[in-house]
Parts: sequence; structure tokens; C-alpha cells
Amino acid sequence: MINRRHFLKVMPPALALSGYPVHGFTKDAVDGRIIIIMLQGGMDGLLAVPPIGDDDLFKQRKALVAANPLKLNPLFGIHPNFKNFSRLLKINEASIVHATSFPYTGRSHFEGQNISQIGLRKPFSVDTGWLGRAMDVAKITGKAMSLDAPLLIRGAMEFDNFYPASISNTSKPKNDLLNLIKNSHDEDMMKTFEKLNQSLMQGSDELRARDPLSLASKAGEAMRHNDGPRVAVLTIPEFDDHSSIGSTTGHHPDLFTLLDSVFGQLKKSLKETWKDSIVLTTTEFGRTVQENGSEGTDHGYGSVGLLAGGLIKQSSVVANWPGLSNKALFEKRDLYATIDYRSVCAACIEAAFGLDHGLIIDKVFQDKNIKRTYHHIFG
Amino acid sequence: MYENKFHWARKIGFGLRPEDTIPDNIDVWNKEQLKISNVDLGLNGQGQWPDNFNFSLEKRFKRLHTYRTKEKKYDNDDISLDEKNRLRFAARDENIVHLYDVYKYWNNSIYGQDTFHQRLVHFWANHFTVGGSNNFRNYIIGDLIFNTIAENLDGSFSDLLQKVTLHPGMLDYLDNVHSAGENSKFTYTMRKEGKTAGLNDNLSRELLELHTVSTAKEYSEKDIKNTAMILAGWGLSVSDYIENFNEEKSYNNISKNITFKKFIYKPYNKNKAEPGSKVVLGKSFSSGPSSLYKLIKMLAEDDFTAKHLSRKLAIHFLGENVSKEEIQEIYKVWKASNGDLAEVHKVTLKVAQKTKIKKFLWPTTWMFQCIRLSGAQFISDKNRNNGFGKIQKNGLPKYEPLGILDEIGHNFWSSRQPDGYSEKKQDWVSTEHFDRRIRIASRIYAANPSISGEEIAEIYGFSDRTKMAISSAKTSKDKFIVALCSPELMEV
Repeated sequence: MINRRHFLKVMPPALALSGYPVHGFTKDAVDGRIIIIMLQGGMDGLLAVPPIGDDDLFKQRKALVAANPLKLNPLFGIHPNFKNFSRLLKINEASIVHATSFPYTGRSHFEGQNISQIGLRKPFSVDTGWLGRAMDVAKITGKAMSLDAPLLIRGAMEFDNFYPASISNTSKPKNDLLNLIKNSHDEDMMKTFEKLNQSLMQGSDELRARDPLSLASKAGEAMRHNDGPRVAVLTIPEFDDHSSIGSTTGHHPDLFTLLDSVFGQLKKSLKETWKDSIVLTTTEFGRTVQENGSEGTDHGYGSVGLLAGGLIKQSSVVANWPGLSNKALFEKRDLYATIDYRSVCAACIEAAFGLDHGLIIDKVFQDKNIKRTYHHIFG
Repeated sequence: MYENKFHWARKIGFGLRPEDTIPDNIDVWNKEQLKISNVDLGLNGQGQWPDNFNFSLEKRFKRLHTYRTKEKKYDNDDISLDEKNRLRFAARDENIVHLYDVYKYWNNSIYGQDTFHQRLVHFWANHFTVGGSNNFRNYIIGDLIFNTIAENLDGSFSDLLQKVTLHPGMLDYLDNVHSAGENSKFTYTMRKEGKTAGLNDNLSRELLELHTVSTAKEYSEKDIKNTAMILAGWGLSVSDYIENFNEEKSYNNISKNITFKKFIYKPYNKNKAEPGSKVVLGKSFSSGPSSLYKLIKMLAEDDFTAKHLSRKLAIHFLGENVSKEEIQEIYKVWKASNGDLAEVHKVTLKVAQKTKIKKFLWPTTWMFQCIRLSGAQFISDKNRNNGFGKIQKNGLPKYEPLGILDEIGHNFWSSRQPDGYSEKKQDWVSTEHFDRRIRIASRIYAANPSISGEEIAEIYGFSDRTKMAISSAKTSKDKFIVALCSPELMEV
């Protein structure tokens, strides 16, 4: 019986075709890279990675299961739009964590998004992000591929943004002008103008495209350099759909295709740095197990995390599968999250920056009860 | 205490143009600001806004319908793809609505004498966010902003909430058009035909969390579900309706009795409503459309709504570090007047005048203030003849006013989350945001400002440090840009 509450670390047999890649990574290495893809709006984890071996899935859901998921192992399949990601699974460069969530059950997008970025239990309680605090501890810099500076990356360490402008009859500000403006400001404003000045000195950049794919490409390019950022944050918005979200094709599946191509693009643009990298998705919550009245799903709890990168040695689906029978659901409606996603984030920080788990849960997540999942994901 | 009229007009409005007059006694001006005229000035402040660019909901739906009908016809025509696209774009541009709304939005902000009212419009349009969509909502967001929000800021919050909740834009944006009671006739019929139908709780959740009581109220998932049941039936499937819209006929697929007027003004279909009574926050509501009016009134008058909105208003006008006492002063008036917005806005203005804290301005607020206080002309670039100071020769508006709003990351017509734009400084401080500020400042310089960077520094009492930076700049353009990107103009 697969469908029981029992820790599964299932190798996807159909995919374990090649040998394990050897990257020369050791626990001592601290030169890793972390790229976070924030999936804003709540990704439906059961649509992305359906537990096709769990009969209750088909009892609970009528329309919202892709017609031809790729089978990963007896329990799990993956939506057919994840073509690049499936290939990464095959070569042991990707893993999946299922039935997981940040510790938040309130079903508000905005509280949930805040918690997924601050990494603490109480929403809006601090002004720094878990990634920003991890950067502080590891003393490294980062880059946000967006117009704004996401809370996730905020901490004491420096980061800058990349999101090229497109305003006609304007050009990049000149250094002397920036210096003057900088001099009239204090503190964080001054620092931001200074950072803008530095990024301009790093050479001209006329690439104007700012779709997630182009941004992934720029992120990889910047992170390849020895003195480049070690952390990057990308956002894919618009997962917040509640009606006709699509099963095999449609809005959610289109977003899967986009997310999948971002994974592919990151591997391409990180080049040799890919072997030292870990890319992971975050989302504020999963969706209801049952469909709502308009071929969509509403705000729920447990979802799925997708991880890829050379730091992974062996592909797996990590889950403590709670089941989908009515009794097994959280508040009779949502997939139970049996893994605190912060433990996955902590493992990624440990793998990429070589920080000790105890230090991470103390300084970054400020919660001593977060379990170490490093060996499940990177072991 | 804001005694300097130039600072004060920026604190609560979009500032003063160099030629604007203001009585020396600020209180007299404040009284003027609290009157709501709702007269939209003409382009560049000349005369009145042309009536052919004012769009009622009917006009908006007609334009959308015309566009859709033509588009469909071209799809079926036996012509080349290039020709199809050319005709499609032409039909779109001829029937476009939201670009005129965007012009009006810029124009009111830059030239409107009722500058506090204009800022209030932006505040409430943000509170009641309806994200854009090219296929439908961009045609009616302007109606929500100018005809629903701007026109109802001197009545009760309860009235405003009801009008906004039942606006076709809100009902579509938060999916209520897709919701039907589990035990409604509609759901029964649909399911019998093997189709899906049922409740969608998106609007009900945000009505409680964002628009009224907030999560501080600690309502339950059941409250959300029951609110969704009361909302079920409100909102008709807009896109289907538009494609088949014909003024002479009713639309049979939805309901035999729904006329165009009803579709707009009372978009209620009892076949989709959930029968029976529902309990929300301990209060029971009977079936029928009037239960939503009652629920909205109850939520509007809830103590948590008063707290939530008093805090939001204080943060918007005073700054994010607002004190409990300042919020309390607004809250007291909210309670005493039972959410009378005229009273609430009056006290907000009063509290703002006394405060010592500063607000980091939204990028649009900063941009409109900069255009206004420097006496620039809209944002037309006369030297290069490529601005958008006038509606073009062929009668079609340009896309740039909309594009610039997107560029600076603050666009009421963009697709975005229902919690609206942040009021926190940290969310607007980034290298890319500051790059945009400098670029916008250079565009304003090209739009013939009537005063220089040094003059701005004098009028607005810049620090010696900022003045030094301005005087160190080599060209008058650079001096102007340093002045516009100064801490003094980014915060007030």
C-alpha cells in the first residue's frame, strides 16, 4: 500500500536511467548559488504533480487532472508541460517535495505571501526575508530580477535589481548625475543610488526584454561570474486564478510551461555554475483538493515544491504523503502539509552556502523545531 | 505642522502649479478642498473635459461590443492574416476606452484644483483594486474610478462599498460572475448536463479581508462560505453577454428576463442564487438579493472596518510610521459619524496637518507632483515632438500615458493582486525604481517646465546639502533632475 501515512522517499524507477552525476561537491564547499522562483497566487500542487497512484485523487477531482501525466513512480506523476523539468529528473538534477507548505493555514494570499518571504509563523512581523537573513549569515550578495526589491531578499546584505526600463527618449543615467543625487540622500536611499551607479559601471546593457525567460537568462549570466551575486529571485505571478484554470491545457498549465522553460533557461545560462546551484520554487499555499463550481480551485494549504540544480545528486519525490480521502484532508478540504517547507529551504541554504543546520534554523528561521531534511534532498 | 502652503498642498494633494493661487489662510483652502465638484478639467487644464471622452457604462459596453463584433467578422472573412490583423487593430483602436480614461487620470492629477479629492480617488481606487484585462476590464475600470468612486466620496462608506461590490468590474475581477449557489437552479441544470457549477469564494474572501473587517476580525472559513452564498447570483457572465449583446433583445442563455439595463445596474440572477438563510458573523440573512445589501451594511459598519480603514487612511496621507493616537482620532470620527466619508476625510486632513511624520510618495504621486510644481506641460516633449500633450490628429489617443504608468510600476489598469499597491517605503526603494525616477525627471524637463531646479529648491526649502548637489550639477537639465529626485520631493 502506497497510500498511507509513511515517509516515502521514492526513486522514480522509470526515470532512473542514467548513472548519478558526480559534481565534486562536498559539504565544505560554500560557493553555491540559490535561485528562488516565487509562484505568486498559490500554485495548485495536485495539478502540477498529481498523486496518480492515490485513487482518492480521482474521487475528489473530476476535471482538474491532466489527461496524460508523466509517471514518476507508483504514486506520483508530473504534468506533461514540465518537459525540461522531467529531463532534469531523469539525469538526477531535480527533485520534488510534495504535501508541503510554509506554516500558514489562514488562506489569505497576502498573509501567505508575507510568510513565504519572511519565513516566520506570524505574518508581517519583520521587515526582512528569510533569504536576506541567510545572505547576512553567509555574507553574500544577491540580485532581484524585478522592478521592486522583494521582501524575501531583504536583509543587511546588499542586493540590486535587474528589470530594464522602456521609456522612450530616455537613457541610462550618467555616473556624475547619479553621484550628485546620491549625495543628497541618506541611508538606504543613498545606498540604492550608489548600487545603481555601480551596476551602470558594470557596462552597458541594452537588452530590453523582461519576461521571466529573459530575466532567467540575465540572472544566470550574472551569477556565472566569480564576483557575481550568489542569490537571485524571480517571480512568476498570476497563479491566482479561480475559474477555468485548465487541466491538460489552460491557464495553470500555461504557467507550468513558463515555469518549466525558466528551469531550462537557468540551466543553460548558469552554464558550468549549474553544478553548484539549487533552484527552488515557493508559493503561498496550495489549492483546495476538490474543484469549485467554476472549474477552478480555491485557497488551500499543502502544495508542492520543485527543486533543480547540480547540487542535487539523486532525483526523488520527497513526501510524507497524507492521502486524499475526506478524512485525511486538512479541515476536510485541503491537502495536508506534512513537511514544513522551511525545512526544505534550510536544506538548500545548507547545500549552497555550507551553513550548519542549527545555525540556519536559529538565525534564519528562528524556530528550533525545524527538522533537517538535507539528507533527503541532497544526501 | 504644515504651515507652508507648498508643502501642505503636496502632503494631501498633488501640489501647486507655479501659477496656482492659494489663500494665505490654509484653512480657507482646506474648506475648498473638502467640497467635491466632480467637474473634470479639459486637457492641459483648458475648459472642461470633452463630453465625447466621457464614457457611461452603456457607452463602454457598446464600444466593446462593436469591437468584438467586428473582430469576429474579420476572423470569418476570407482575407490574408496581415489584413485581418490590420483590421482587428483598427477596430480595437476606434473603440478603445481606457486610454481616454488614462488621459483623464493624468489630467485630473496634474491640473485638478480639487487636489485632495483627486488623491482620495487614488486612495480608494487602490483600496478597491480591480486589476486590468484587455478583453474586458480595461473598458470599465475608468467607470469604477471616475463614475463610481470619485462620485461617491462624500456619502457613507456603506454606500460606496455597495456600489463598488456590485460594479461589473469587481464582480468579474474577483470571479463572482462564475459563482452559483450549490443548491441553485443554475447549478442543478448545469450538473444535470454534466457541466460544472457551484460556489466561488474569491470575492467573499476579499470583501472580508481587504475591503472591510480585515483578518483582525478572526472570521471563520464558514463565514467566508456563507458570504459567498449571499453573493451568489450577483454578476453575470460578462464576456458571453458582450459577444451576444444586442440592445433590442434580452440575452436568453443567461436568463430570459435580463435586459442590458438590468445587466449593468442590478446584475442579479436569482437562478444562480443560493436558497435558504445564511449566517455570517453570527447574524442570519434570509434569501433574496436584499440580503447582500444588509450584509454589506453590516460589514461597512463593523468596528473592525472602522479600525482597518482609519489606519489605512492615516498611513496613506500621514506616513507608515503613523502613531496610534493619530489613527485613533480618525477612528473616533468614523465611529461617531458611522462611516460618513465627508467627515472621515475632513478629520484625515486635520490630522495630516498636525503630523510630524513623513510619507514616501507613490511613484505616480511623485511624478504628478513634479510635473505640477515645475509647471511642465502635461508631459509632452515639444522639442522632439513626440509627447502626448494632445490627443492625436486622427482622433486616437496614444498608448504612452499608460505605458509610463506601467514603467514606474504603479498602474491602476495593470493586472495585479487585489490588495493593491503597497504604502511601505521599502517596497518602492530599488535600483530599478530609482532608474525610472531619473528617466521620468528627464522627460519632465523636456516638457517645458516654467521653473528651474534652483527655483524648486528655494520654493520647497531644500536642505543645504541638496542645494549643494543641485548647484554642483553642470547643466540646467541635470540640476532639474537632481531637484526632482531629491529626498525633499520623494517624501513629504
